[in-house]
Amino acid sequence: MGMTPHQPIYHPAFECASREEIRARQLVLLQEQLAWAYERVPYYRERFDVIGLKPGDIRTHEDVRLVPLTTKEALRETYPYGLFAVPLDQIIRLHASSGTTGKPIVVGYTREDIEHWRFCIMSIAQMAGVVPGDRAQMAFGYGMFTGGFGLHYGMEGLGCMIIPASAGNTERHIMMIEDYGTTVLIATPSYALHICEVGERLGYDWKKSQLRVGLFGGEPCPPKLKREIESRMHIHCTDNYGLTEVMGPGVSGECLSSRDHQHIVEDHFYWEVIDPKTLEPLPENAAGELVLTPLQKQGIPLLRYRTRDLTSVTCEPCACGRTSARMKKVRHRSDDMLIIRGTNVYPSQIEDVLASIAGASAYYHLTVDNESGLDRLTLDLEVKPEAFSDSFTEMDAFRRAVADRLKSVLQVGVAVKLVEPGSIERVMGKTQHVTDSRP
Amino acid sequence: MAIKQLSVFVENRAGRLARVTAILEEAGISIRGFSLADTVDFGIARLVVDRPSAAAEALMQANLLVRATDLLCIELPDTPGALDVVFTAVGEADINVEYAYSLVSTYVVLKVADIEAAEELLASKPLRLASQDDLARPLAGGSRQD
Repeated sequence: MGMTPHQPIYHPAFECASREEIRARQLVLLQEQLAWAYERVPYYRERFDVIGLKPGDIRTHEDVRLVPLTTKEALRETYPYGLFAVPLDQIIRLHASSGTTGKPIVVGYTREDIEHWRFCIMSIAQMAGVVPGDRAQMAFGYGMFTGGFGLHYGMEGLGCMIIPASAGNTERHIMMIEDYGTTVLIATPSYALHICEVGERLGYDWKKSQLRVGLFGGEPCPPKLKREIESRMHIHCTDNYGLTEVMGPGVSGECLSSRDHQHIVEDHFYWEVIDPKTLEPLPENAAGELVLTPLQKQGIPLLRYRTRDLTSVTCEPCACGRTSARMKKVRHRSDDMLIIRGTNVYPSQIEDVLASIAGASAYYHLTVDNESGLDRLTLDLEVKPEAFSDSFTEMDAFRRAVADRLKSVLQVGVAVKLVEPGSIERVMGKTQHVTDSRP
Repeated sequence: MAIKQLSVFVENRAGRLARVTAILEEAGISIRGFSLADTVDFGIARLVVDRPSAAAEALMQANLLVRATDLLCIELPDTPGALDVVFTAVGEADINVEYAYSLVSTYVVLKVADIEAAEELLASKPLRLASQDDLARPLAGGSRQD
C-alpha cells in the first residue's frame, strides 16, 4: 500500500483492502440483503413482483439499478412497523426521526444490528482521531434521536470513558469538561459553538481544557464554523454523517487527512449517486443524490434509500491509508432547495456568503413569504461585536454589503435585517434555518 | 475632557429598549442623557451615564452589543442664543458635528471627529465644558450656578 496511517485503523482488512475486494464483498452482502428484504417484508416483495424482479436477478453492480428506490414516504406509509423484517420480540431497540412534519419515522434494531452499529461508530471515531482511553462527553440528547445512544455505545466499544451529560445545561457542560478532563466533545457543531461562547463569557480559558477532538454530527458543519470552533476552543473538529433511516450516525466519517470528505463504512453501506431528476445512477465523482443500502441490516432493511443529500463519491485512496470510498461533505439537500421566483436557492449558499464577510455571524434565519404574488426572502442576521458601530451609516453599509453579496451569489434579492446577538434560537438538536410561510 | 457615551444595538421590537433600561436600573446606573436613532429594523441607543464602565459591563454581561465613543459635553447657560454660540463656533471653524443631543438640564453633547480641536475652540467661548466627573453627580434640578 505504501501509505502509513496516522491513527490506528479499526478494521484494516476491510478499510484498506483493494477496491476490487471491497466491491466484491459489497456485492455478496447486497445480494444477501436483497433476499432478506424480499423474503421477509411484504412491501418489498410486492414491489419486486410487480416488475417481475427476483433478488437473484441482481448479479453485478450494473444490475443494482433495477431494484426500486425507497423513499421516506415508504416509512411513513408503513408506520410504525410495516418495513420490519423480524418479529418484534427480536427487536431490542427503537429509534425515531425528529418528525418535524407529521408522524415520525420509526426504525428497529436487532441485537446484531446494535453490534454492527457499534462497529460503524468505532470505525468513524477512530478516523476522527479518537483513541481508547479518551474521555468522551455526550452533548447530544439521549431519547429517540439516534445520535445519543448510537455514539454512546460506539465510544464505549472503543474503550472510551463516556460522560453521558446529554443535551442542555451549557454551564454544567463546561464544568464537566474542566473537572472530568473531557478529551472528546460529541455535539452538533452549532451547540459546540454555543458551549464555546458561554465558556468565553464566563471567562473560561479553552486553551487550558484537555479537549482535543470535536466529534460533530446531527447537522451539516460548514468549514468556516469548524475553523472558528477550532481556533476558539483549541480542538480538532470532525464531522460524521448518518441518517436514522439507514442506521443513524456511523455511515461515514472524516479522517485526519481528508477534511472535506467522509469515508463511507463500506462494509455496512452500499452507496450510489443518482441524478435526482432522472433517477439514473451517476459515475464516480459526479454530483448527485446519495442513495444508500444498508448491507447487514436485520431489523429494517432499506433497499436503495434516497437520502435527499447531494454529494459526490470518490474512490481514490486517501492519504490516511484507507481505501474506502469517500463522499464529499453534504452541503445541500435536494429537498432543502428553495425555489424563489424560479431560481434555485440552497441555505448552504447563504452560509458560504456569510462565511466570506467579516462581522457576519454564522447565526441566521431565513424567512420566505409571498407578498402580492412575489416571493420574498428576509434574512435575520446576528451582528458580531466587531461589526457593531456607533454610526448608522456604517451599520447600514454593512447591512447593504451583506445584501449585495447575497444577491450576486443567489441571483435573488434578499432583505437583510440585523438582529441582536443571541436572538436567533440555538437549538440543541438541529438548527432550523429556514421558515417557508408561502401559501 | 472628552466624556464617554455608550452606544447599544437594539432591535426594533417591543421591549428591547426596556431591556436596556432595566439592566441599567438593576446596576444602579443613572442616565444623564439619551438619544435613540432608529431605522425600520434596528436602532442605536446612545447613552450618557454617571458610571460608563460599570454600565458597559452590565450591558455586555447581558450579551448586548455595546460600544464606547468619546464625545464633548458642554454646559450651556439657560439663555436665548446659548446653543447658537456652540453651533456658530463649530460651523465657522468648519468642524462637522456628526450628531448632538442634549442631556438633562442645559447640557448638550456633540460627536465630532477631532475632540481636542473642538474643545479648544469652545473653551474660548463663554461656555463651560463638563467633565466625566461632573456627570457622576446629578445634573437636573439646578445646574451649577457659577
